[in-house]
Order: sequence, then C-alpha cells, then structure tokens
Amino acid sequence: MTVPADLKYTKEHEWVRIDDDTATLGISDHAQEALGDIVFVELPEIGRQLASGEAFAVVESVKAVSDIYAPVAGEVIEVNEELEATPEKVNTDPYGSGWIAKVKTSGASVELLNDDEYTIFLQE
Amino acid sequence: MTDLARTPLFDEHLALGGKMVPFAGFQMPVQYPAGALQEYKAVRDGRAGLFDISHMGQVRVSGPEALAFLQYVTTNDVARLVDGQVQYSALLNDHGTFIDDITTYKINDAEYYLCINAANRHKDVAHLKEQANSFDVHVIDESDDTTLLALQGAAAQQALQQIVDIDLEGLGYYRFGQMAVNGAAAIVSRTGYTGEDGFELYLPNAAAVDIWRKLLVLDAVPIGLAARDMLRTEMGYALYGHEISDSVTPVEARLMWITRLDKGAFIGRDVVAARKEQGPEKQLIALKLTGRGIPREHYPVTVDGKPSGEVTSGMHSPMAGGVALAYVRPEHAASGDLAVEIRGKAVPATRTSTPFVRSNVRK
Repeated sequence: MTVPADLKYTKEHEWVRIDDDTATLGISDHAQEALGDIVFVELPEIGRQLASGEAFAVVESVKAVSDIYAPVAGEVIEVNEELEATPEKVNTDPYGSGWIAKVKTSGASVELLNDDEYTIFLQE
Repeated sequence: MTDLARTPLFDEHLALGGKMVPFAGFQMPVQYPAGALQEYKAVRDGRAGLFDISHMGQVRVSGPEALAFLQYVTTNDVARLVDGQVQYSALLNDHGTFIDDITTYKINDAEYYLCINAANRHKDVAHLKEQANSFDVHVIDESDDTTLLALQGAAAQQALQQIVDIDLEGLGYYRFGQMAVNGAAAIVSRTGYTGEDGFELYLPNAAAVDIWRKLLVLDAVPIGLAARDMLRTEMGYALYGHEISDSVTPVEARLMWITRLDKGAFIGRDVVAARKEQGPEKQLIALKLTGRGIPREHYPVTVDGKPSGEVTSGMHSPMAGGVALAYVRPEHAASGDLAVEIRGKAVPATRTSTPFVRSNVRK
C-alpha cells in the first residue's frame, strides 16, 4: 500500500496533486485495492464545473459501481481518455498513468489530508 | 459475520487469502488475491478452476414411489432419465412460479439425488417433505454432511483423473458416477455453471480438505464467487433471485425446455399451461450494449424511449463487452430500439442470444 508524500488525500480515498491552479485527481492505492479489478471508468465532460465533494466520475469493478468525488472545486480541463480502453491502469498505476482528470481549481476543497494523516486515517 | 455458517473449507479459504463475504447464509470467498479477472481467465483459458460451492444443498429422495413423487414436484420429465444421468429442472408452487431451480440425479428407479440452491434450502426441503406425505418416499436433507466442489476448465479432467478410480473419459455431459475420489466415496458429475468442460464433486465433509489441497497441488486455481458469477452470466445461465423467482413462471423465464407439460400432472402445471396459452407477462431477453457502459442488475431497460423492464444480471464481459439478461414487456422481446439506462443516460443495445461467448461444454 503506497501513500506518496507529494499528494493530498480525501477521506473518500481520492488523491489530488496541486500544481499552481491545476489539480490532478485520482483514487488512492488503498481505494483501487479495495475495489478490485477495475473494468470501466466513466470520465467527466471537459468544461464541467465541479463543486468540491461532488461526484464527478464513476469507477466500476467486476462487482461494484463507485462514485469518485472531487477533492477540489473547479473546471474540468483534461480527462485521461486512455482509461476508456485500459481502465486497469487505475489498478496498476493509481498515482501515475491511472489519473482520472485535471481541474482548474477555484480554491475551495474538501478536508484534505497529507500523507501521514491519510496513513493514520487508513489505520483507524 | 458470526451468525453465518462456514463450509468445511473455511480455513483453507482464509489460508489462501480469500476475501470472505456473506452469501446465502454462509461466509464464502468472493475472490482470492489474484482477483476475479485472473480467476475468470484461468477457467476460460484452459486451466482448471476449483470452486467451493458447499453452500448448495443436497436432498436424497428414495422409496418405491420416488419417480412418481419427482414427476409431481419437478417440472422436467424424470421418466426420461437413465441411471447415472443428471437433469436440469425446477420446483414450482401452485401459482406456477419458481420455488427453486435444481438438478435431479437418477441413481436408480427408487433413488434420486437433488442439488438445490443454498438460499432456498430450507424452503425446498419443507416443501418436498410436505409433498412427500402423499407418496411412499423418504426425503433426506444431506446438505450439512456434503461438501460440493466444482472443478471447471479444459484442464479439469486431467487433474481430477489423478485422484479418481474410474476412467473419466467415459463420463458424458450431464452424466454422473459414484466413485472413490482420493479414496472417499463420492458422486462426480460432468456438470457445471461456467460453460467449460468440468465436474461437480459431492464429497463427505471429512474428505474435503485433503481433496481440495490435492487439486490445488494438481495446478487447479481457486475461484471465488465474483468470477463464478462472471462465468455463469456469460453463458446466460439463470440464477435464482435474478432471472427466476417466485414472481415468474417458466414461460417468462424461457425455461419451457425444462417444463414438460405433456408428462402428466405436476405442481404448477395448469397455471403454466394457461400462461403459455395467454402469453407471458414479461419476457427474458439477452442484450449487448452497443454504447459504452456496464449494464447492472435493476438498471431500467427502455424500448423506443419508453420504460419496458429491467436488467436481472449484467456484466462487463472481457470477450463480449457489456452484456445482460433483462425482462422486458413481451411486445418488446423481438422489436423496437433497445437501450439500458445507466446513471440517467440511455445506452443503446441490441438483442442477442445466449451464450454471450462460446460454450466449451462437452456435448
């Protein structure tokens, strides 16, 4: 179970990487492992305005359908279209090629945890 | 999960890292660490998958009127069975709807063996015992004494042959033999729920752990419930609680091929005959999405934009894409533009036939 130090996390098990006003979003290693084999990802539309905490994508494993919630508010500016053909990248590389969307942030966010806080949260 | 039952293989599942979930009153492995997709592939791609399906129930029916009794309580024509043959069948109630779907094993004219669904076990046994009052038969629930394993996949016969005392090559599809498995008296049938060649093994509980371990050493791959459901859905096989239930008759479920109206009186017969005459209330169909998405149980199905029914089983098939079984209004079974509503969006679909992928059972 990896929890990279350069990311922030939510209690819903999303991660966010913030570079200036751009946030890259995905789901954590813990989340992908709990979901099991991911076979479908429904991506948001580019240009969609997200409120923080809003469900913006759907990840489906063999047995389950899971909403993915936006850690930050903002406009969707890019989505990882490769996941349409290779959703398993969310399993194999959740923090890299398994990213889901990029958002131009407006500043608002849900409660974000750093790597230590998220690791403790996972242990609770 | 403390009030849930455990199969004799519970500790084996834990030792293998099985993720246990509640299922039909038991703690059962939904998957092992390799994951459902890898397990599915092991069965489809030529290996042998090993399934603990001991949650299922077994009932022995014996006595001089065993045939007459089973003709009356099951839908299929038991008189067609020869000794050593298995038959897919069903138990109906007075309303012609399903109590359960079952398999009937004919041992001889005076002795039969039924395999029933776990979730319906107590209901089935109560029903059978009540009906048995009118016949010279004994109905014995042997579920608690029996471990049921399935070994499925192209390599199943080769693996099983190492631990049985007869030549399996002579055992045909839907045939069974009473034989020694690893020295234990067992019933072995060439049956299954996956669409691959394979066997189901009815074992005394005390012999189960050794046989389970031996088959793993013989390169069998343990398979959990998730992959089992993928394999059966790809075949379009009905599952109680999904395609069949006490709210549909065999006419709706397209199971008239196991319902022999011409065999004489049986429970539910007259209702089913009338329904067949009048036409079904709804109709089970097979569909394949032409748009992106995964059809899931209870998702609405529309025809020409209007509500028509819902998905009963659906999946993402690695080979066939988004496929599902669904009930629709009977007038929509054959025509009209079909779609599945996925999170509010109508995803177009086409009607197709089952199995969704090629079956490799030995015919």
